[in-house]
Amino acid sequence: MMTTDGEKIIETENLTYSYGDTLAVDHISFSVEKGEILGFLGPNGAGKTTTVKMLTGQLVPQEGWGKVLGFDVAQEPKKIHEKIGVCFEEKNLYPRLTVKENLEFFVNLFGLEVDIDPLLKRVDLSKWVNDRVETLSKGLQQRVMFVRSMINDPDVLFLDEPTVGLDPISADAIRNIILTEKKKGKTVFLTTHNMMEADKLSDRVAFINEGKIVALDTPENLKLKLGKRTLKVKMRTEKGFEEETLPLRDPETPKRAKELLEKRNIATIHTQEATLEEVFMKLTGRKLEQ
Amino acid sequence: MKASCIKAITRKDAVAAMRNKLIVLGLFAGVIFAVMYYVLPSTVEETFTVALYDGSSSQLFPPVSELEMEGIHIIFFTSGEEFEKAVEEGDYVAGIALPENFDSQLLSGKQPTITLYFKSDVPESVRTSIEYFIQLTIEYVALGEQPIDIETEMLGEDMAGKHIPLREQSLPFFLVFALMMEMWTISTLIVEESAFGTMRAVLVTPASPSDVIISKGIVGIGYSLIVVVSILILTQSVRGNLPVLFLGIFLGAIMAVSMGLFLGSLTKDILGSYIYVAVPMLILILPGMFIFVPDISLSIVKVIPTYYLANAFGQILNSGAGLVGVWKDFLIIAGFDTVFFVLGVYALRRRFS
Repeated sequence: MMTTDGEKIIETENLTYSYGDTLAVDHISFSVEKGEILGFLGPNGAGKTTTVKMLTGQLVPQEGWGKVLGFDVAQEPKKIHEKIGVCFEEKNLYPRLTVKENLEFFVNLFGLEVDIDPLLKRVDLSKWVNDRVETLSKGLQQRVMFVRSMINDPDVLFLDEPTVGLDPISADAIRNIILTEKKKGKTVFLTTHNMMEADKLSDRVAFINEGKIVALDTPENLKLKLGKRTLKVKMRTEKGFEEETLPLRDPETPKRAKELLEKRNIATIHTQEATLEEVFMKLTGRKLEQ
Repeated sequence: MKASCIKAITRKDAVAAMRNKLIVLGLFAGVIFAVMYYVLPSTVEETFTVALYDGSSSQLFPPVSELEMEGIHIIFFTSGEEFEKAVEEGDYVAGIALPENFDSQLLSGKQPTITLYFKSDVPESVRTSIEYFIQLTIEYVALGEQPIDIETEMLGEDMAGKHIPLREQSLPFFLVFALMMEMWTISTLIVEESAFGTMRAVLVTPASPSDVIISKGIVGIGYSLIVVVSILILTQSVRGNLPVLFLGIFLGAIMAVSMGLFLGSLTKDILGSYIYVAVPMLILILPGMFIFVPDISLSIVKVIPTYYLANAFGQILNSGAGLVGVWKDFLIIAGFDTVFFVLGVYALRRRFS
């Protein structure tokens, strides 16, 4: 799935940041290669946003270092800003400006001459181009923010919950755009709570908990190493339905499955893959959406 | 700093401000001030009440009923003590004291000495009128030209030539008020960037905090000029030394912008910012307000930076002063501007970083 050529676009070494006595990011080291999508997952307060802030030059690391596109995040943030796009989790658009005015403002900040219409069409926003942002739904605003992050055709995209609040069709449209950008060789640093999304889009996934990266690998490897595949059997009973989950690697499972089959009251039976959520829970004892 | 970023942010702020109803309402302050200007009296008091003391019960000096003329109302005193008290307390614009041997001096052809007491703010023209009135009265009594000696004593600081209609006196107040209102515009633009989270989005583009600060300053100065110039035009007060007047307006606008930058860095809450701005704004418009309560000692307001602004505007607009007359005020304002600007930029950079 990875289409990298080995060039490191994002690199960190012992990256650390504290808010007073609270260690938000604790000596994390990782790298992201060109054309790679890295899913950065963790519960609230785990250090995801602080990491993104350091990588995008909004915070200066207190220890360690970070580089984006070869530029030091502490020393050369403006060189980084020229070539990245950031989609924030919170809605941060100018409410009194129209969609077009919001986007043209950012085009002007980059000193570019970009036709925004094709971008608007890609996320189905053309209809609202002259509407003030304050009149748009949260989902539409999210789409505007996503378009804004791509306005300078960035080499690296930092996307923080890019599909939150979107209907399934719009969310899928955005996921497809992310994959298209990846195919063009763009690097994506994706922060999300949505396990399905991370699983579907990410080449690799980093789990961060209490400021530390506790696992970093492809979703498949993580699930294989740390997850548990199961056989899920749903049976009809007098009271309705009853469900039983059997671990596939358990030597007792074939015997129990046979017993259930012989009862002839099975409604559904299927194998179930481990999820990233389960892997995270196994690693940290915490749920991702805490 | 990037010129393209400054241009983009300035343009965006100008459009965003024009869609903020309160800021647009602020632009119309010029009209409101102009209406208030025209409501105020355009002329000075023209009837003067004068105290007359005649300790010698002169037979020659005409009775009050014969002396009163248009614009002068006379109150006669027979007690020197009461006369002095009334004049000192400022109940009368002038006091006329006849000498004790007035009749005999006049009859013997000698030169009587008449003492005139004036309140400090009596205009020179009124003093001249009263001196002329005395001269006429004596000529009337002496049935011809009679040399008299008039001694003038000022009660308080001589304010000759400074008696200006309230309408014109109020102009510096309106100008200072309009300029200081822009503190609010700037602080609102900054607080909104924080409240809407847009500052984060701007700062991950090529734009720097300096670009943002300069752009807000340009918008603030632009809005100040619109309001102040509209006041000057609507009140037909575009007069005096215009380059000096606009230098003063520019210095005042920088003060408002600098204060706005500082105040805007104090909070992320839009409503909270109104309170943060209201208190300093009230203090800063105070010097201009003192024209309505002249009895309060001006030395108190000299610690307020805008005193020098109001004073300079008054001098330029109402006394025709040029740079020579107001350079000290401008120097003090520039000093305050520097302090406020450094403070504002420092606070804002801390906020943005």
